[in-house]
This record gives sequence, structure tokens and C-alpha cells, in this order.
Amino acid sequence: MTQSVKVSTLKIKERNLGWKLIIPTILIIAALIIYPVIYNIYLSFYDVSISPGKPNVFVGFQNYVDVLTDSDFWISFSKTLAFTLLTVVGSILVGLVVALMMNRKFIGRTLVRAMLLLPYITPLIAIVFAWRYVFLPIDGPLIRLLSTIGIVDPGVDLINNPNNAFWVVTIFNIWRNFPFVYLMILSRLQSISKTLYEAAEIDGANAWQKFRSITLPELYFVIGSVALLRGIWNFYKFDEVYLMSKFAGTLPLYIYEKAFLGVPEQGVAAAIATILFVGMMALIGFYVKKVLKW
Amino acid sequence: MVRKKNIAKKIGFYILVLMLVVFVAYPFAWMLSISFRYDTDAFEKGIIPERPTLRQYGELLGLVKSIREELSQEEQQMMELIKDLPPEQQEAFLAEITAQRKKETFPFLRFFKNSLFLAGISALISLIIAIFGAYSFSRLEYKGRGVVQRSVLVVYLFGGTILAVPLYQIFVKLGLFGSGTRAYIALIIIYVVQTLPVSLYMLGNYFRTIPYSIEEAAIIDGCSRLQTIFKVVVPLSLPAIITVYIYAFMIGWNEFLFVSIFARPYPEYYTLPIGLNELFNSAHAIWGKMMAASVMTALPVIIMFTIMEKYLTGGLTVGGVKE
Repeated sequence: MTQSVKVSTLKIKERNLGWKLIIPTILIIAALIIYPVIYNIYLSFYDVSISPGKPNVFVGFQNYVDVLTDSDFWISFSKTLAFTLLTVVGSILVGLVVALMMNRKFIGRTLVRAMLLLPYITPLIAIVFAWRYVFLPIDGPLIRLLSTIGIVDPGVDLINNPNNAFWVVTIFNIWRNFPFVYLMILSRLQSISKTLYEAAEIDGANAWQKFRSITLPELYFVIGSVALLRGIWNFYKFDEVYLMSKFAGTLPLYIYEKAFLGVPEQGVAAAIATILFVGMMALIGFYVKKVLKW
Repeated sequence: MVRKKNIAKKIGFYILVLMLVVFVAYPFAWMLSISFRYDTDAFEKGIIPERPTLRQYGELLGLVKSIREELSQEEQQMMELIKDLPPEQQEAFLAEITAQRKKETFPFLRFFKNSLFLAGISALISLIIAIFGAYSFSRLEYKGRGVVQRSVLVVYLFGGTILAVPLYQIFVKLGLFGSGTRAYIALIIIYVVQTLPVSLYMLGNYFRTIPYSIEEAAIIDGCSRLQTIFKVVVPLSLPAIITVYIYAFMIGWNEFLFVSIFARPYPEYYTLPIGLNELFNSAHAIWGKMMAASVMTALPVIIMFTIMEKYLTGGLTVGGVKE
């Protein structure tokens, strides 16, 4: 009797402590993430004033109509989709090949492995300047190299030219983020049991067959999850794109320009953000069901 | 025959490795190379600097005067000009010149200090909140824990792009706008939120690996739950705690979107990302100095990472999948 009372008070105590310790987190996340997401939807129905004295004016769906009939929006939207798709596929392919390479023993592996993390961990602003330098027209070493091979015209400014900027930021994103993919795939690769490969070898499987029927299925889930994470992050990606080239024309850049540059139209920006958000949620739902089969 | 094929395969593999190394290291190699050159040599061909110099680093750290200051006889000429003025006017004039100079110098150290302060403080706050939260997740049982845990997971998927407009509006309404200090308060709050979910997950995963029996022993010895956190859990997870701190620090060190929204009107308060970007677009776009500044921006992070590499890469993969 006394025993059970004691246990239950202990349990209550524990429960209370549990809540007390997590409350700060809940408050912060509710106030600064959940509430803003909802507030954003609210703002998207208003002509948002930027001077504190003037109230917002309700405009109904006008912002949405403006956005959806704006051809710039659709161009940005399709660029964002293409950017996301290309960077996800690209970083996974590079990450997969590199993980397979690093899963082998070779001279200098430790050093190469350490180097591979550099693109991912180096502060963005530092490598952005390095990239801008090597891509400089005429004098940039990479442009010099490419023009000697005859791939590009030495005078071309790839970064500040809206036609090419998209490709530069796409390649840059793949270069910067493949180490993340490689790390995740490698850690899964290392946990695949050797006996599977031994059994396949006894059955006379060649390297490709082993890769097809053992490695890939074992990696299915991790690749699926990485694709989801990278997809979400790259869909929203602002800084990596904007700092590399303002001319890349993806949707996050469009939102930033609408909301904070020139004459701010924050209601319109909020409407775009809401569309982005809803689109993202739908894509995630579809993906989780169909690809990850949860 | 078989052996020949193997050797060819091996050579092929090493060529592949070499290509990979070049692919990864190419921009870094140029960044380093240019940082050891005079600005006038920035476009010399060849990756090895012909006249290597540490001058750029010296100037950024304020150890050497800039070439212009050194070469010109500005100082003497100025004194010559003002020697007939009354002393008060002389003083005012000199003060103005000094202020002007200060504006023109490359304020790398100031950006560096600002970045250090913002990233350091917000990572610390995020860490402290996360220690309690992660303990609650991993050790204490209560209804609703799962829901809270999953919500934290989901909110991590909301990018800054979507939050930028509403957060701006909220902070303007709260009056956290209109001065550099206020902008910093807003930024610290935002950075804490941005790093909190990662910190929570990395720490929570680590806390679960600590055997509960150690805590039980401490409780039997008369420790309260809170005391066990400080006396048992925190000391035992010190490597994980440092890792999480560095991770959160790196996020703050890199942040660009919000600092460019909130601190744009206050150059004194620029951090490295916005400060260097603005300088690059202004008259100070001097390649030698830009590259030296890039190296020095990267160095603290790379050093921290190298020291903690074992834990950090583990955290990246664990945290990555579970985020």
C-alpha cells in the first residue's frame, strides 16, 4: 500500500520534472517557429505596412492572385524545382561514388577522408570568395583552364550572368553538400554484413551484381532519407545561392527581394512563402508515403 | 594476366582518388595561394606565389599598416597643412581624419569579434536549454513526450526562408529593431531557435547511451534528479556537449539571412558573412585581402572541427538521420 503510493508520487514527480525541463524548448519553438508559420499565413492576406504606425490592410486573396499571375513567380518556381532535383540527384550520385571509394582501403585514405569534409564544414562566406575567384572572367584560374580546353569563352562571366548563374549555384551546391551524403552512406555501408558478400561470391556474383543485389538494397532507406532531407533543405536554400550569385533566380531569393529590398511587399512575400510551404508539405507527404513507404 | 588487370584497376582507382582530391581541394588551394600574395599579384598565373608575403594577414590583424599609409607622406603633409591653425581646430581636424581612416580600413577584426560574440552566446544558450530538454526526452517518462519529440523534429524542416517575413514583423512589433543592440537581441533569439532542434537531438541520442544504473546509484546516494544532471550526466557527456556547442556555433558563424535583415543598417554590428560580402561589393574588393580574410574566417571552424572530428562526424550522421 505505502509502496504503491510512494511509486506513484515518484512518477508524478518525474512527470512534472519532465515537463519543467522541456517547457523552455516548447515555448521557444512555439513562439518562434510555429507561431510565425501561422502568422505568415495571416500576413499573406494583408497589404503589410512597413512603418509601425500604419496598420495592415486586408486584401483577401489579392496577394495570391498577384503572385500566381506573375510569370516571374512561375519562372522562379520552376527554377527552384529544377535546382532541388538536380542538386539532390547530383549530390547523391557523387556522395554514393565517393562513399564506395572510401569504403576501400588505400594509401592516404585517412588524409583524403579528412579533406572530403572541407567543403561542408568551411564557413560559407570563405568558400564563396574562393569560387568567385576561380570563376572570374579572363583572370580566374578555372576559366583560364576551361578556355584553354575550349569549353568556355574566356570573357564570359558565368556567375553574374543570369543565364549561367543557375548552373554555377547548382554545381556549387552539389560540391558543398556531397560530403553530408557521403558520410551518411558510408556509415550505412560499413554496417553491411560481410557474410552477404561472401555468400554472393560463392554463388559466382561479379562486382556489379554484388552492388546491384546487395549494396543498393541495403542503402535504399538511407539514400531515401538523405534525398528527403537534402530536398527539403535545398528547396528552401537561401544563403548558399544568394551569396554565390544573386542572379540564380530561385524562389527563396525572390521572396527575399520582395520582402526586404526596394519597396518591400511583405504581404506578397508572405503569400509566396505560404505557397512554398504548402507545396513542400504536399511533396513531403507524397514522398514519405510512396518512396519511404512509411 | 589476372595480376596485370589488377594493377591496371589499382592505377585506375588511384587516378579516381586524385581526381576527387582535385575536385574538392581546387578552390581551397587558390584561396590559400592568393592569401599569401600582394594585391597586385592576385592574377599572376601559377598556383605557387612568386613573391609570397604574410602582409595581408598582418594588415587584417592590425599588425602592419596598410601600404598606402606606409608609403605616402600623408602624415607629414597633413601636419604641414594644419600647423598654422589654432590648437583646438588642429585637434578637431585630426580627430576627423582618424575617424575617416577608421572607416576606410578593412574592419576584419570587428566583424570577427561580432561573429564570435553572436555565435558564441547563442550556442551557449541553446546548449543549456538543450541539456535540460534532452534529459527530459531521454530519461523522464510522461504523457505527451512522444508528441513533443516529433514536433521538434518536424519544425526542424521549416527553413529560414519561410520564417523571415513573420519574424521580421514580430520583432519590429516587439520593438527589437532600430538599433544595433536591439538587432543583436533579436538575432541571438533567432540563432537559439535555429540551433535548438539539432542540439536537442544530438544530446538526447548521447544521453541514452549513458547507463541508467550510474544515475540510479547517485539517486540512492541522495542526489536529486537535478543534481544528477549536473553531477553525473553532464560530466559523462562532456565530449558530446562540446560537440553540440561547436555544431551550434558553426550554424551561428555561418548565418547570413537574418543578420542581413536585422543588422543591415548598422555596419558596426556586421558579422563576417555580411561584413565581408558588403566589403566585397564595395571599393575594398581586393583579392589578396579577401582571401586572407576567408582563410581566417575558416580557420577557427576547421581547427575546432579537427579537434572534435571523431565526435562531430558521428553527430552529423546520427543527428542527420534523426533530425
